Amino acid sequence: MEQQVELRDAVTQVVVFQLGKELYGADISAVLEVSPLLRVTKVPRTPTYIDGVTNLRGRVIPVVDLRKRLGLPVTPATKATRIAVAEIDGGMVGMIVDAVVEVLRVPASAVEPPSAMFSKVDTEHVQGVAKVDDRLIILLDLARILMREDRKVV
Amino acid sequence: MGFGFDTSAEDIKVFLDEAEEMLQNMEGGILRLEKESDNPEVVQEIFRAAHTLKGSSATLGHQRMAELTHSMENVLDKVRKGKLEVTGAVVDTLFACLDVLKAYKEEIATGEESGVSAQSILEQLAAIDRTGSAAPAAAASLPAQPPAAASSMPAGLPQLTPADEEKVKSAPVRGMTAFWAHMQLDKNAAMPAVRAFQTLLAVGDIGEVVRSWPTQEEVEEDKVGDDMKLVFVTRESMEVVRTTLEGIPEVKILAVSPLSLATPAPAPAAAAAVVAEPANAEVAMPLATLTADPEGAPRREATATAGQIKGAKNSSRTVRVDVEVLDNLMNTVGELVIERTRLLQVLTHLETDREGDEASQVMSSALAQIGRLTGNLQDEIQRARMLPVDNLFRKFPRMVRDVAQKAGKEIEFVVQGEETELDRSVIEEIGDPLMHLLRNSVDHGVEPPMDRLKVGKLAKGTVTLEALREENRIVISVRDDGRGIDPQRIRASAVKKGLLSEDAARRLSDNEAINLIWAPGFSTAEKVSDISGRGVGLDVVHKNIEKLNGSVEIRTEVGKGTEFRVKLPLTLAIIRALQVEVLDTTYCIELSSVVETDRIPTSEIKTVRQREVIVKRGEVIPLLRLVDAFGQQRPADFVEPEEVFVVIVAVMGKQIGLVVDNLIGEGDVVIKPLGKFIGDIPGISGATIMGNGDVAIILDISSLVNTVQTELNRQEAALSR
Repeated sequence: MEQQVELRDAVTQVVVFQLGKELYGADISAVLEVSPLLRVTKVPRTPTYIDGVTNLRGRVIPVVDLRKRLGLPVTPATKATRIAVAEIDGGMVGMIVDAVVEVLRVPASAVEPPSAMFSKVDTEHVQGVAKVDDRLIILLDLARILMREDRKVV
Repeated sequence: MGFGFDTSAEDIKVFLDEAEEMLQNMEGGILRLEKESDNPEVVQEIFRAAHTLKGSSATLGHQRMAELTHSMENVLDKVRKGKLEVTGAVVDTLFACLDVLKAYKEEIATGEESGVSAQSILEQLAAIDRTGSAAPAAAASLPAQPPAAASSMPAGLPQLTPADEEKVKSAPVRGMTAFWAHMQLDKNAAMPAVRAFQTLLAVGDIGEVVRSWPTQEEVEEDKVGDDMKLVFVTRESMEVVRTTLEGIPEVKILAVSPLSLATPAPAPAAAAAVVAEPANAEVAMPLATLTADPEGAPRREATATAGQIKGAKNSSRTVRVDVEVLDNLMNTVGELVIERTRLLQVLTHLETDREGDEASQVMSSALAQIGRLTGNLQDEIQRARMLPVDNLFRKFPRMVRDVAQKAGKEIEFVVQGEETELDRSVIEEIGDPLMHLLRNSVDHGVEPPMDRLKVGKLAKGTVTLEALREENRIVISVRDDGRGIDPQRIRASAVKKGLLSEDAARRLSDNEAINLIWAPGFSTAEKVSDISGRGVGLDVVHKNIEKLNGSVEIRTEVGKGTEFRVKLPLTLAIIRALQVEVLDTTYCIELSSVVETDRIPTSEIKTVRQREVIVKRGEVIPLLRLVDAFGQQRPADFVEPEEVFVVIVAVMGKQIGLVVDNLIGEGDVVIKPLGKFIGDIPGISGATIMGNGDVAIILDISSLVNTVQTELNRQEAALSR
């Protein structure tokens, strides 16, 4: 019995960020870095949620507006707006978030499976919901979110 | 590997590289032999290549290859001794041998059996061999100084250069004896290259290595088999030589004896011995003279140090560099260029704020210097990536010959400028397009001999492949003196294929009509020949050339001939571009596509069949508003300005005017990919980072214009049905 509890309490580190009024999280291993939002150049003929490309220390990386991608309302950028850079498929992708809050240690026991009640986000993009200190953090499956469905091969 | 060769992957790679070179040499040689059948040098060259290949394939263990090259050697030997005439049949047989050898080489590379049988070719070779005169080998009757000095070498020993032979012959004059030694490196030796090196050192200690197989360079690169041969000179006695050689661990003496080149040729039967065979001292030594070992106080040569084994190698001052390293260097320099541009901008601010104070002056001159330095770096790195196009061009003569034969055409193929250098990745990519163009010339350009005679031309057509350097780019020209491209026939064909309406076809200028051949699905060949009639060739050629940031121009005259001029930039990653602005985004247009820029009053824009055009110097130039090309929207409060900026570009011989909001400037631009996530977008070839840190989009003009154009053409064709 005790052993079971120990196993279940494996801890993951989660980068917590804000989209609108809610808190979201992604596994820290998926997030390479967090950068201030610099100017984004629009790229024509791309899905709406791809805002464009930006200069990340000499590299041109695509920028995805996570709010648009997840179907959430978009608010104008503030000083707190950041780009969280993830590595997908060998390339880097930047995601716009309203603010980056902190890095949290989340024990596995605090995570519940996704349920439509807790978030407005498609369950297929959500790995689970964590409850830590009275806050609800919606854990996102970045790999799925950043997969280009419009290009999926049947 | 599938063949179970007792060699490492590294050794196999070495073999393949050498085999490739030998096969190329043989192919080049046989082609020349066809034209100059009595040139002894050419025969010798082919013989040498076959001989080397025989040796290496035997060492490697590919019996069939060794056997075939051996048979070729016999025939070639008869040819070079004047006992066999070079006929068309002989040449064809030799070519067929080459094809089999190539298949064998593939076997070694892939580890899979090719299923190619050399049976018939061996029989052909044997038949040819028999027709040669049966005079016995002239060993006994040859004069003391045979013209091909190489044939007096002991059997099993590869050739010495004339310089080496001099050293050997002059040894007695210097009080030294020439020796040759055949050593075997222990198969179980952990590091055979070290043992080989020790051998070279040891010999260098007591004398001077004239030549070694492997060479010192090869030993340093770890290209060592279990066989080693040396020719060296020394003042020491045979005893000392023997003791020295015996003293090298894991190395066994197979044979060592004094060597003199002033001897008559050995029994030619010995020439049949396969190189890898452990040499028997008896068979190998045809000695007539044993140069006496001077007993006088031997002066030892200076002790050889690691880098200085005398004479063993031609000093080679090159290093091998992975192409990736060069790419990384190139990228880093690209970054430097960007950072410098940023500093330049800061400098401008400083200068306006502080009006020429010392700090900004220092900064200005430092930045100028940095500019020169980065320029130098770029040039040097680029040079490091350059290779002569000869590497690529030498593959073509054979292909042209084969295509010509199949097509029943007589072709004189001329290659010029093969020493011109190109970036290695461009060379890799340009091969296929050039091959297509050459096939096109042979197949469609040059007329059949009878037709040519009827119009007063020589039966033999000429196809020329030339590479030349023009300022900042390379031009590769493929031209023929054939029938030329007839714009009328092209127009008719395009209409027939539904690519254009008759009206549209009529409106095309001759130049535009000719450039229709690049359109997908286009081909004027009535029947599909297996060479190039399928109509899939030329549009792919065009696309591939464009991918390299190059362009191709057609110059043709009906009845006289056609020239395709492929223009390629010297460098891939950096281009000169014109920067323009549309809807607050900066776009870059490669300068080489730009004909001119202009400011046109909006009132001068006319509309013809619902398309906007302008008239410039009598020519009607269609306009393409970049905003529309990308399906973007203007803000609701947008007011059309009184004047617009137009950038006139040339795409496949056709001029198009791109309407933009602003012209920003021109400059060098480092091309960066958009990345896999965004993927390929028609009309866009990449992105770049500008001096102010913003990202600009690099336009792919031809694909942009194409997508819009194809759509319009189809609409028109559909409407007029």
